[in-house]
Amino acid sequence: MSAEDKKLMLELEGVSLSYHSKKTSFTQGTHHVLNNVSLKLYEGETLGVIGKNGCGKTTILRLMAGILAPTRGTVKTRPGKTASLLTLGLGFKADLSGRDNALLSAMLQGSSKKQAQTFLEEIKAFSELGDSFEEPVKTYSSGMRSRLGFTTALITHVDILLIDEVLSVGDAHFRQKAQRAMKERIGSDQTVVFVSHTDSQVKDLCDRAIWLHEAEIGSQGPVADVLEDYRAHIKSMNMSKAAN
Amino acid sequence: MALRADASRFFLGYIWWILEPLLFVAVFYVVFNIILDSRKADFLVFLMCGKLTFIWFSKSVSNASNSIVSSKGLIGKIDIPKTMFPMTMIQQAAYKQVVVFILLFGVLFAYDYSVTLTWLWIAPVIVVNYLMIVACSFVGAYLVCLMRDFSLVITLGMTFLLFTSGIFWDVRDLGSPEKTEAVLAYNPLAFILDAYRQILMYQTPPDMAHLMLIGFVSVIVIVFMGVLLQRSSKFLALKALTS
Repeated sequence: MSAEDKKLMLELEGVSLSYHSKKTSFTQGTHHVLNNVSLKLYEGETLGVIGKNGCGKTTILRLMAGILAPTRGTVKTRPGKTASLLTLGLGFKADLSGRDNALLSAMLQGSSKKQAQTFLEEIKAFSELGDSFEEPVKTYSSGMRSRLGFTTALITHVDILLIDEVLSVGDAHFRQKAQRAMKERIGSDQTVVFVSHTDSQVKDLCDRAIWLHEAEIGSQGPVADVLEDYRAHIKSMNMSKAAN
Repeated sequence: MALRADASRFFLGYIWWILEPLLFVAVFYVVFNIILDSRKADFLVFLMCGKLTFIWFSKSVSNASNSIVSSKGLIGKIDIPKTMFPMTMIQQAAYKQVVVFILLFGVLFAYDYSVTLTWLWIAPVIVVNYLMIVACSFVGAYLVCLMRDFSLVITLGMTFLLFTSGIFWDVRDLGSPEKTEAVLAYNPLAFILDAYRQILMYQTPPDMAHLMLIGFVSVIVIVFMGVLLQRSSKFLALKALTS
């Protein structure tokens, strides 16, 4: 099935984002985070965004989620559809129990209190936190925290799921479980944008990919082609470094 | 829930809600009554009426002003109305203030101040006080988000208000009635603090027209700032995330 057959969920048209920031006390610098980026996202597909750190991956997700507005260009979402970032530890309050935190997170991601309460047992079971679920989050290890965050984010439902490198959570056992759950979610009709700098995850999970390079789109299209460009670029970078 | 978190963080928990403002009162009492010997009748009650309500105002406004920039983490992950951050702070402080007011009324009662129908005037004063807090908080939160430097200005402004609003001195005791008039007319906080005292200690209702004027201006500021915060939600998010 070609992408054109499906409904357009979200479109970025010539999107640029830049901001001023003081570099030192005397010079003023403008950062260009994204420069003239256009892309389309269709219903039910999984789009991978790949690129090295600081190339604007997280910013693109924030634009899609409507957290930031572009300096130029437009971001259009299909009317009535919501896009939400899947994030670890959304608004964790360390002094509250895991249960209260899960409830808060679910509510912040747009569920009503009643809906959120129905998720709680599911979250407790999936995260395998057991009795710790009732204890304050400040007593958790970092692995336990990410379990809670991942599960809470996964179980609440949104139309467009925006994922920012979250599959590296917890121990090996939980990571596999998370990956499976993620695949299940992606395999269903869920529309997903997935951001990562590890190409194997993109290869495993995505239908289509975009490579962001220095604030612009390096290439986009089928996953294999994009990854090839990305790898070639990394190779050439390493070569030039070695040459120096 | 943030309240529950707040309370569980400290060993004494909820007790701090009362203890902290009381300690402030104690400090002022020691300085002005014992060291400086102000010789005002019922100085303790006089001080509590002023100081306890001033703390409510200053704490709410300074916390609320910094609330947007200090919630960076949350702002980067979800698009929520930016008025929510100052409002959470204001509500938290308001709940605590209920406890403090009960304490204040208790002290007045213990000091044999007669509880009459005049006390009902306290309700509109509290409402206007609250509206003032919301208005100032919205302005503060917006400014601090625009430029962090405003945070310092606000701290300074609070100190200024602390000295100019008649907390440890009586506005009605300034020597010249013109001066009293001027302070009450141009410093709404001084007017509000004085209104509390007049009602609770001297059974005198406040100047209703002036009270309504303060309330009215506050509402206009709240509506204007509310719309502005809403409109510039994404701009503020960028500011909070990048500055």
